[in-house]
Amino acid sequence: MKLRSAVKGVMLLTVSSLLIAAVALVGMFAFAYYNSSGGRDWTAPMETLSETLVQSEEGYSFYGESLLEPDSWMMLINDEGRVVWSYQKPYDVPGQYSISDVASFTRWYLNDYPVHCWVREDGLLVRGSPKGSIWKYDITMQTSVLMQMPLWFLGFFLLALGGVLGLSYFAVRRWFRRSQQMRDAARSNWINGVSHDIRTPLSVVMGYAAQLEAAPSLPPEKKRQAAAIRVQSEVIRDLVNDLNLTMRLDSEMEALRKETLCPEAFLRQTAADFLNGGMAEGFPFEIDLPETPLPQIEADPFLLRRAVNNLLTNCVRHNAPGCAIRLGANAQRKQLLLWVEGGDAGKTVQEQSPRTPEPDGGAAHGTGLRLVAQIAAAHGGKAMFYGGTPYRAELCLPLKE
Amino acid sequence: MARKILIVDDEPALQSMVGEFLKQAGYETQAAMSCRDAAEAFRTGTPDAVLLDVMLPDGDGFSLLAKLRQMRDVPVLFLSARDEDEARLRGLGLGADDYITKPFLPQELLLRLQAVLRRVYQEPSGAAKLGDAEIDWGKGTVRRAGEETALTAKEFALLKKLWDARGNIVTVDALCSALWDGPLVGYENTLMVHIRRLREKIEPSPSKPQFLLTVRGLGYRLEREDTR
Repeated sequence: MKLRSAVKGVMLLTVSSLLIAAVALVGMFAFAYYNSSGGRDWTAPMETLSETLVQSEEGYSFYGESLLEPDSWMMLINDEGRVVWSYQKPYDVPGQYSISDVASFTRWYLNDYPVHCWVREDGLLVRGSPKGSIWKYDITMQTSVLMQMPLWFLGFFLLALGGVLGLSYFAVRRWFRRSQQMRDAARSNWINGVSHDIRTPLSVVMGYAAQLEAAPSLPPEKKRQAAAIRVQSEVIRDLVNDLNLTMRLDSEMEALRKETLCPEAFLRQTAADFLNGGMAEGFPFEIDLPETPLPQIEADPFLLRRAVNNLLTNCVRHNAPGCAIRLGANAQRKQLLLWVEGGDAGKTVQEQSPRTPEPDGGAAHGTGLRLVAQIAAAHGGKAMFYGGTPYRAELCLPLKE
Repeated sequence: MARKILIVDDEPALQSMVGEFLKQAGYETQAAMSCRDAAEAFRTGTPDAVLLDVMLPDGDGFSLLAKLRQMRDVPVLFLSARDEDEARLRGLGLGADDYITKPFLPQELLLRLQAVLRRVYQEPSGAAKLGDAEIDWGKGTVRRAGEETALTAKEFALLKKLWDARGNIVTVDALCSALWDGPLVGYENTLMVHIRRLREKIEPSPSKPQFLLTVRGLGYRLEREDTR
């Protein structure tokens, strides 16, 4: 997964989550405010109701029936705790109250009836609503805690933000991985299919071209043409092989089969196989190994052989016959330095032009060197390619611990 | 008598290319394009070796190999367009003698087929020639200018290893493995002594060898000229 895409994905998810959280919170607060006594005027204020209860010599007169909700009731308790006036008072509401009774219901419930109170000169006016119609909650908090509230809110916000970020990162990463795997599988199937389908016809082309090249009855010009067909077919063959392996290494489908290798024996065998293949005819070959045995390495012999072969093939393809090909290795600190060099046979390394690393990592030479770099990386090492004359490629591989 | 090779591949163009090439190289060939045809041809034609494609229209080469091996044990070389390690290891793990990935050069196929046939059917114990030297594998001797010299066990093993790969470089490591069943370390000088003694027996001029050549830094090569 590319870092930029991951960061974009995480940011998108975080912003979306925060937006959803903000809208939900604001909505909840607005809803609560609208439906509380501070918002909608859903009950007449106690002060207004109190004004509609007038005391005269004949007793109390109440004019606020229309202000009351249908199931609500009212009563007036005098200073002695006795109910001196009531309106629609339920039968289960007592007519006499002690101080402790008054203290316990004023802000809460009276026999489960939610009540509101208003202090008047002649007593305490109580309005009761139907049971279960109003939720009341009393909040009491130490002032010091109240002052710390912003800090607590900030802390919770950061915690929630971290949680959202973490979750979204894992979700996005998983999603990216799955889509990457699907893309890799599709690409792999396609390349495998093309590679498979091209191999058989290419065998026929290479086979007949090689037979024509060797036919004694054919004129030299025709033989040269047949040889060109054969050589170019081999180029296509190598390209198909490299593409296939590059793709498998790219999508981590190629599992390494590591073995303990003795570098000298491995390089000698690889070089012998390469020379036995006849590709380097006309190219003087030199192998440069130290006299003391090299430390062992752990590597996949098939892949490493492929890498060295690609480097040797590259030397042959980019040099004229007569140029020397040199293969060598030495141990440097905790690494094995394996190198392939192709250049003028007559010149020593010191006489040749200074080496400069190729900025594109050898990409200009096609898939062959890219594959070498991939193989080196898969072994925990790296590949370096140097332009100029002689052309030099180095593989640094970790030694066996 | 020419050896008979059964070629099992569902691609007619590849069939005829390989068939023509093997006929030119002196082999008899039989062709089959499916598992069923191959089993029938194997039963009736009694081939000496089979070149087998992995993907066939009515089955796969791996299953066919097991079926053929139940009938008769002959060398089988896979010729496959599948280059994955799994396929190669599976083929070799089932007991195939070689696994050649398409595309291949006819010469490469021929050399690998010859190597397998040589290994399975053994060289006749008669003479092999290296210039004016005649090697008798049965007796383990070299005859030059009418004089017969016996080869030591190590010299015989060395010469056999080089002869089996004649024309190709054999690394010092591979020679040591063949002679002492171990790595090169400690045997370099002993190997050189054996090479020198072998040259004295097969070369007209041991100090200027014509057949057993040193490939500096890598190993040795037995030249193909004047071989049997």
